[in-house]
Amino acid sequence: MDLDEFRRSLDDWLDQNEHDLRADPAAKDTLDDQMAQLAKVKRLTYEAGFMRRGWPERVGGLGGSSLLRAYLGEALTSRGLVEPGIYSLTEVLAPTMIDYARPELAATMVPRLLRGDETWCQGFSEPGTGSNLASLSCRATRTEDGWSVTGQKVWTSLAQYADRCVLLTRTGDADSAHRGITALFVDMDSPGIVVRPIETMHGAPEFSEVFFDGVVVPFERTLGEEGQGWSVAMDLLPYERSTALWHRAAYLQQRLGSLLQAAPPGELEPADVGEVAQLLYALRARSRSTQRRLAAGERLGPETSIDKVLVATAEQAVFDLVADGLATGVAVGDDPASERWRREFLYSRAATIYGGTAEIQRNIIARRLLDLGSDR
Amino acid sequence: MDGGDRDVFERSLRHAVETHSGGPLDAALLELGWTDALAAHTHEAVSILFELEGSLHASSSALDHVLACSLGLDVPPTAGYVLPPLGRRSPPGAVDGAHLAVRGLGTAGLLARETTVVVARAVNTEVAFLVPAADLVLRPVRGMDPELGLVEVSGTVAKDALRPEVVAPSWPAAVALAQLALGHQLVGAARTMLELARRHALERVQFGQPISGFQAVRHRLAETLVAIESAEAVLGAAWEDGSPTTAAVAKALAGRGARTAARHCQQVLAGIGFTTEHEFHHYARRALVLDELFGSSRSLTRELGTELLATRRLPDFAPL
Ligand SMILES: Cc1cc2nc3c(=O)[nH]c(=O)nc-3n(C[C@H](O)[C@H](O)[C@H](O)COP(=O)(O)OP(=O)(O)OC[C@H]3O[C@@H](n4cnc5c(N)ncnc54)[C@H](O)[C@@H]3O)c2cc1C
Repeated sequence: MDLDEFRRSLDDWLDQNEHDLRADPAAKDTLDDQMAQLAKVKRLTYEAGFMRRGWPERVGGLGGSSLLRAYLGEALTSRGLVEPGIYSLTEVLAPTMIDYARPELAATMVPRLLRGDETWCQGFSEPGTGSNLASLSCRATRTEDGWSVTGQKVWTSLAQYADRCVLLTRTGDADSAHRGITALFVDMDSPGIVVRPIETMHGAPEFSEVFFDGVVVPFERTLGEEGQGWSVAMDLLPYERSTALWHRAAYLQQRLGSLLQAAPPGELEPADVGEVAQLLYALRARSRSTQRRLAAGERLGPETSIDKVLVATAEQAVFDLVADGLATGVAVGDDPASERWRREFLYSRAATIYGGTAEIQRNIIARRLLDLGSDR
Repeated sequence: MDGGDRDVFERSLRHAVETHSGGPLDAALLELGWTDALAAHTHEAVSILFELEGSLHASSSALDHVLACSLGLDVPPTAGYVLPPLGRRSPPGAVDGAHLAVRGLGTAGLLARETTVVVARAVNTEVAFLVPAADLVLRPVRGMDPELGLVEVSGTVAKDALRPEVVAPSWPAAVALAQLALGHQLVGAARTMLELARRHALERVQFGQPISGFQAVRHRLAETLVAIESAEAVLGAAWEDGSPTTAAVAKALAGRGARTAARHCQQVLAGIGFTTEHEFHHYARRALVLDELFGSSRSLTRELGTELLATRRLPDFAPL
């Protein structure tokens, strides 16, 4: 099925099933509500076949171009049916499983993620390890029963909802840096795991700290080989900066459109509006060519750091404009619409932090794209 | 144009732009068939030539051909074109009763023309007048970038004396094509500034190390690359969708991107970049002037914002 055909049939189907797909009008738009809505939309789109397009047959997909996935996420996001951040975790974690898990494991697990039966999380950051990911210390040791994992992760998005975790562990010496890291696929209901949600600035407990105490993980749950965890992590990041990013761009476009409708006349400066719209043009144009390269089978690499800089810049610019145009609502409004704008404004502050900070992206651009040599 | 043809075309253009500028470059472009290519392969002809002119600091009257190509008027091929005044994209002519008032710019080639084409706004469309160059005041511009060879054009001509008068409904399309050309030229100039600064950063040693090791320097150059790639991406999208709005966004991003490049690269080049011993200043000067042609980044940005606030809806740009 080509993109145009997919677009037509998906749009028709979404129009016809609008009622079933919409969130429960009684829901309050809390994170719990958003997660329930996400599971429902994934299940319905999976059953109708749309969610399976663009994924390989060996993991329950129907094959076809990855552009179909990009369009599906865009359509669901711009119709306001799913919240893009939680939706797009699929785009980050499923490709990793397909590339690195044992084939039987991927074949069993990926359909559960696509169908919305399960939530997965990404356990990279630790209290002592943020930007310098290679310094992580959550340890996995070999035992007769499998890996035994002890340590702590932090700011793990959706860990409190998650059934599984793609976890980076230290299996080499303490100073083995990126060479001694192994990626594991861990069941979150394993004995020895404690999850503690963390309140965030934007008011939704989006992430948690996760404690591991002698958690046993079977060897066949290793992603890639022992010591290959760094490659798993590095190969995951371009996914985060391609399809997931296209979805985010669609969301930003939808929100800027809503702002134009909602802002009282005279509150927005034309020059500011023009500049933000231009940033979105640039983001969409750049991300579209990345989507096309991905669909053509090209391997994505450090050039996606430019996409990431653009999305973070655009997101903050859109919501800075919101804070100007809807200043009263954002600052003192307590109605549901103002609460949503405020939550989104606050969340946009994290855009230059998660997924590699703005500074780390510029380091990558300088070293890898401009060939300026090592920065250490 | 397929890949092989494109390479040959690019190589011959590169050779012409490396070895000539100004009038001799105009002659070389005619000889190697760029003007014919413009009609048949507009995208390649415009993007390759203008990016080369930008990156090699050359100038020509190719913009006249770009306007001729998209306006498609029935006028003598030797006529020159009057461009909009600085900072604007509106036509250079205004009909005022029995008079045509002209205020605009021209490429260097205009000084050698006998006849000029002046597009003017009429009620619902644009009309084009053929105006003898002798009836206009042409001032060769020195200004910020003397080597660009711009000409300032002004004058008031009795309308009755002018013939023929043709409707030029494709003015917005001509503006869009000129904006794409200038966008590529700005991107070319910005890429050269980045490369000059990058090489300098790797060679210049201070505090016992190349300054390329300092994060403040690295981040300025990274920022420059992001600005250039943004403009490049939207230029590509504009060629694809053919919309005047996208072309205007591309031009604005290219203009702002080149200004960003000039600012960061000048800081990295520091003292040597402030001298005329170094070639940086040529590119910085050019970027500032090109940003003002066919709509400056500032005016285009404000106009886009005004339009969005009036319609209160965003176009669906760059769809998959
Ligand atoms: C909303 C949100 C969701 C998240 N979700 C997840 C998740 O699901 N899974 C997960 O593993 N993590 C997640 N994170 C964590 C995120 O990946 C880290 O916050 C991020 O990598 C930065 O690490 P840090 O916060 O420890 O900052 P640090 O690394 O301590 O950095 C602090 C500051 O120093 C700067 N800095 C650090 N090193 C350099 C350098 N070399 N050069 C220049 N400047 C530097 C940084 O840019 C930053 O400004 C999430 C974070 C947020 C905010």
